[in-house]
Amino acid sequence: MAGKTESFGKAIDQNTEAVVIVGSGAGGGTIAYELTRAGIPCVVLEAGPFLKPDDYENDEWAAFGQMAWLDARTASGSYRVARDFPNLPAWIVKAVGGSTTHWSGATPRFHEHEFRARTYYGEVDGANLLDWPITLADMAPYYDKAEIAIGSTHRHGRPALPANNNYKVFANGAERVGYKFYATGPYGTNAEPYDGRPASIQDGFNFQGDKQTSKWSTAVREIPRALDTGLCELRTECQAVQVTHDASGKANGVLYLDAEGNLHRQAARIVCVAGNSIETPRLLLLSATGLHPNGLANSSGQVGRNYQRHTTGSVYARFDKPVRMYRGETMAGIIADEARLDSSRGFVGGYYMETLSLGPAFLAAFIEPGGWGSDFTELMDAYENTAGMWIVGEDMPQESNRVTLNSQLKDKWGLPAADVHFDDHPNDVAMREHGYSRADLLYESVGALGTHHTPPYPATHNLGTARMSAKPDDGVTDAWGQAHDVPGLFVSDGSLMTTGAAANPTLTIVALAIRQAEYIAKEFAAGSL
Amino acid sequence: MGEASTFDDGARRCLIRLIQRAFPHSTFPEGPYARTADVILAQAGGNIPDAIAMSAGLASLDAAAGGSFADADDATADAIVAKATDAPFFALVRATTVVTLYNDAEVWKLIGYEGASFDQGGYLHRGFDDLDWLPDPRTEEYDGPDTLVVVAAGDEPAGTEGVR
Repeated sequence: MAGKTESFGKAIDQNTEAVVIVGSGAGGGTIAYELTRAGIPCVVLEAGPFLKPDDYENDEWAAFGQMAWLDARTASGSYRVARDFPNLPAWIVKAVGGSTTHWSGATPRFHEHEFRARTYYGEVDGANLLDWPITLADMAPYYDKAEIAIGSTHRHGRPALPANNNYKVFANGAERVGYKFYATGPYGTNAEPYDGRPASIQDGFNFQGDKQTSKWSTAVREIPRALDTGLCELRTECQAVQVTHDASGKANGVLYLDAEGNLHRQAARIVCVAGNSIETPRLLLLSATGLHPNGLANSSGQVGRNYQRHTTGSVYARFDKPVRMYRGETMAGIIADEARLDSSRGFVGGYYMETLSLGPAFLAAFIEPGGWGSDFTELMDAYENTAGMWIVGEDMPQESNRVTLNSQLKDKWGLPAADVHFDDHPNDVAMREHGYSRADLLYESVGALGTHHTPPYPATHNLGTARMSAKPDDGVTDAWGQAHDVPGLFVSDGSLMTTGAAANPTLTIVALAIRQAEYIAKEFAAGSL
Repeated sequence: MGEASTFDDGARRCLIRLIQRAFPHSTFPEGPYARTADVILAQAGGNIPDAIAMSAGLASLDAAAGGSFADADDATADAIVAKATDAPFFALVRATTVVTLYNDAEVWKLIGYEGASFDQGGYLHRGFDDLDWLPDPRTEEYDGPDTLVVVAAGDEPAGTEGVR
């Protein structure tokens, strides 16, 4: 599977100035589809292979080995991931479709006040808060489009998914502790056939890629459709290593390595970087030039900074009767009651509670890193009677939480690997503890014999490292995602997020990408880009 | 397995016992523990520093047991394990055990996990919703009289009343 660069779609000459998109996930895949259907040729450079649904494996470690981004990286800082998983700061996907291949599917929107975090949260010590340069009103029409593209349940006429076993425990507990705003979605997996893809068969494998294709991903929707336009070339196993600019400073190409390490250059009319929030700043930092000595688009010094990973934690509860949480959709259960701003709780920002299930193979690795002995094995012995949930909330952007180039560790091509430095902010810790305690109450209300608090996993939500800002001094890109200081260079992924909000980010990444593509098409038509 | 082994059968028995005592499951037979031990020994045998750490670590268990850790009684073995868990070789044992012992089809059956399901049509008709000890909850979003107050009254910044 790995080890060979392949071309899909219509071949585009390397000297033709196309829109060059780095990455094919939620952001890059969406941009490719939206631009090609507007008649604009695109070259998509994807670092991983084109895995198809038939390739996906119903096996946690096999799937992890098949699709996880396992290139050299380091985690540093005081957070626990740096100790337990020092070479795996993030659990994201290296394949066509990016992390939409393994995303679970929760699609809440951001709240209005979350686009104005600095205004609402005020001055928080140690936090580099900033209001977004756009508002919920700007985003609303694009949220609609993104929900329709994804086929989010509970939205635009899409029916709810049924209650699976894990949800039954979760929702009954929610009701008993007085929560009201719970449901099996919104969730990006078909409850009934939609958009040419079938309904879920509740097979329990989301993080491994959905063989049934009921779950939306850019690998099953946007990328195939972009290729069908005849205006898109997708090149797989191509690692972008530098974005180039012309003498005037305008982005004009991308240097990349194919699977054999041969260096190529694709000419670009514009460049859209969508490599997820670790690779995107790494590429910008690798692209330093005389004009941009600290990294491309880094006049503000903010490239790589304000790295956010969401405040997360999991709670696994043991019962005296079977749950079998692994049967059915992994995250089709969301409680929104705590996703609000109420600083009387002892922290700013909010969090969601969402059902979560791991198989025994992953649970053993993550439930209590470093654990052994009967305290540990009791958790595993209770597997069949265990229910699980994930807490996911807004973490504080901090300038020192940061993606940098590791001065010692190199990737297999000899280029500096990314280091991800992260320290929990006191607000993050307070939120996590609150979430743990509320989850305990919820599960105890339906008879839990015990609960276990699992620390954050390697990050699945990576945000903020090339943030949008109204002023060039405060961030990397403008309100459309175009670099303040490099014309023709766009950032098209979660790196854009000025702040992270509580919601799972994929819906917002897709909505931002649709909005950005519309802007690019309009500017092209006007001859101004 | 199959290659000239760095470790003799005594070392293998010692390691199996270590995993059994460090990861005790009353329902597990020896098979999954032995398979896990073989994976650990194959990995440790693949590089000299790990092989040395493993050999010395296992030998230290035998020494602490006055000869054979594998044959020590449970209380003695547990006391020895408790003193060994800070040693680097134990970190190797632990790290590989958690991704091997619980990635074993026999163990999955014992703890009630069914493995791959797509080829059997998922769980749509095989019990994805068979939990019967709690009432069936609603799956739709709340549509009662209350609305989620997304910003508490005390958190409205001055001059932005009513913004949502």
